[in-house]
Amino acid sequence: MSKQALTTVLAVSGLGWQLNGLAILADIDFSLAKGQMLGIIGPNGAGKSSLLRCLYRFIKPTTGQIQLFGEDISALSAKAFAKQIAVVLQDTPHHFEMTTTQLVSLGLTPHKGAFEFTNASDRQVVAQALVKVGLADKANQAYESLSGGEKQRALIARAIVQRPQLLILDEPTNHLDIRYQIQTLELLHTLNITVITSIHDLNLASALCDELLLLDKGRCLAKGTPKQVLTEQRIAEVFDVCCEVKVHPQHGNPLISYFYGYHLGEKAAHQAAVDANSAASTVAADKGATDV
Amino acid sequence: MSNTSSVTPQTTPWKQPLDLLLLFGLLLLGLITPFAATSFGAATITSSDVLQVFSHKFLGLGESMGVTERIIWELRLPRVILAFIAGAGLSIAGSVLQTVTRNPLADPYLFGISSGASFGAVMALTLFSQSILWLSLPLGAFIGASLSVLMVLSLCGRNLSTQVERMLLSGVAISFMFGAMASLLLYFSSPQAAASVLFWSLGSFAKASWSGLILPAIIVSLCTVIILLFKRQIVAMRAGDETAHTLGINVGRLRLSMLLLCSLITAILVANCGGIGFIGLMVPHTVRLLFPGKYPLLLTAAIGGLFMVWVDVLARTLLSYQELPVGIITSVMGSVFFLFILGGRSAKRI
Repeated sequence: MSKQALTTVLAVSGLGWQLNGLAILADIDFSLAKGQMLGIIGPNGAGKSSLLRCLYRFIKPTTGQIQLFGEDISALSAKAFAKQIAVVLQDTPHHFEMTTTQLVSLGLTPHKGAFEFTNASDRQVVAQALVKVGLADKANQAYESLSGGEKQRALIARAIVQRPQLLILDEPTNHLDIRYQIQTLELLHTLNITVITSIHDLNLASALCDELLLLDKGRCLAKGTPKQVLTEQRIAEVFDVCCEVKVHPQHGNPLISYFYGYHLGEKAAHQAAVDANSAASTVAADKGATDV
Repeated sequence: MSNTSSVTPQTTPWKQPLDLLLLFGLLLLGLITPFAATSFGAATITSSDVLQVFSHKFLGLGESMGVTERIIWELRLPRVILAFIAGAGLSIAGSVLQTVTRNPLADPYLFGISSGASFGAVMALTLFSQSILWLSLPLGAFIGASLSVLMVLSLCGRNLSTQVERMLLSGVAISFMFGAMASLLLYFSSPQAAASVLFWSLGSFAKASWSGLILPAIIVSLCTVIILLFKRQIVAMRAGDETAHTLGINVGRLRLSMLLLCSLITAILVANCGGIGFIGLMVPHTVRLLFPGKYPLLLTAAIGGLFMVWVDVLARTLLSYQELPVGIITSVMGSVFFLFILGGRSAKRI
């Protein structure tokens, strides 16, 4: 453990969160090494956002421990914490009247004391972040007027200005077309910081995350590399879909193809196929797929 | 993603020529206002008289001007200053409250302050004799205002996701409660008392004096300084509670302390000048429309203050035989001006 502590950014052990006696998250353990990109996957309501909220202290877990560089995160002050962890959330409020530059400058907040004005070097940091995400020419435009992909990049630029050790993103690819989905995740790779992101698209997660954590009903079902986590059987069990997993021709990670017309979610079908295991193999036989 | 773009983003604010022109105009207005505003009123006084009085009082030049000097120095100048303080305080309170509650309709009286103050004032008017009204009315108003704020504060939860909602709803409920109690008291009181409550509730600076200025001046400027200290955090609140939290802000605590500061400003002003409506709602929006995308708190205060001074000038000159309550003028002028700006801006934008 002490050897790992040098490179481990985040270590989560026995994490659980109960809301009104109902367990939303339970028994979650994982650790994340410096420079890695961890994708949190799982169906809707699996607890992805709740897990992230525990990590950035928006909710206080009922049980367990979260350590950032070996230090319990609850021991840090709000400001010190914000200097270590930056968060990009899904949505901003309406009537959000700011220019892109002003939004990105919000990242300076934890670094500034009272009456400390934005100086030339701060402006430099903001300008560089805008160049890094390719929004230099949109600096003085209203944030609201940006496209979905540009908004996401502006929010990432704000996180860059925050100069964090760890960047947490909640569904950064939501509502984006495929070009921006890829662009956003690839941008995260160029930042050379540790990243945790929740993500819906399994193929995208497979292609661009170093590690995956599969959540279902608030529990961690699998963690590891995309190859270890994304198996036909698991995807069938957790997401209630039929699929075939092959090797992607370019990056070599799993490539998932879904099959349509199999309503495993219907109760009758579900009860008939007592375990998803047999269901999955039936499908595999149907399609003449070879064993994995 | 064009990383080849070598454009250095322009990040310095206040560079548009229109902004500079507006700022210059405001500065000019700010410079002439003390002289011009003190020369208006029932007694005929020229700006050169004012200049002479000022140079005598401040620089020790020239001679005393007798009655004119007393009118300017003891009646009009404190009145102008009180109007400025009230306008500035209400504007900054409105601006901050609109931001931290993320409610564009928030104004300084949002949390039942005005009805709490009215209730306190009515209590003072009906229970105490007319002879000590100069003390009991502002005191009663201040106690009533503070009471309503304390009730809202005690009702708003610690839970961030419901805090704003609870705050606004309990403000509405408390506002109605105090309103009903004030109406009940008024219903059973003399017509005289009802008339004085009405006049008080519409706002006036007629009772301004140097000694009466001290407390509002201290409280408004102190609260303004504290608000400015937290400006960066207040601006960050615009991005939403959760984002503000991730930027290292203790959202619940910041919101409560801002509410407390704004309420303090409003309570002291409502106690001294009565309920001056619309200005705390309108000035922040006007500034926002004039300087889009910026959050100039001090400028908001300055514009609010100047606006209030000129409204008060109108209040004492529009009718030759009596004064109008400033609250009526702020509401009439404010709404027209507001609609005018709104129309102009949207026509330009779309």
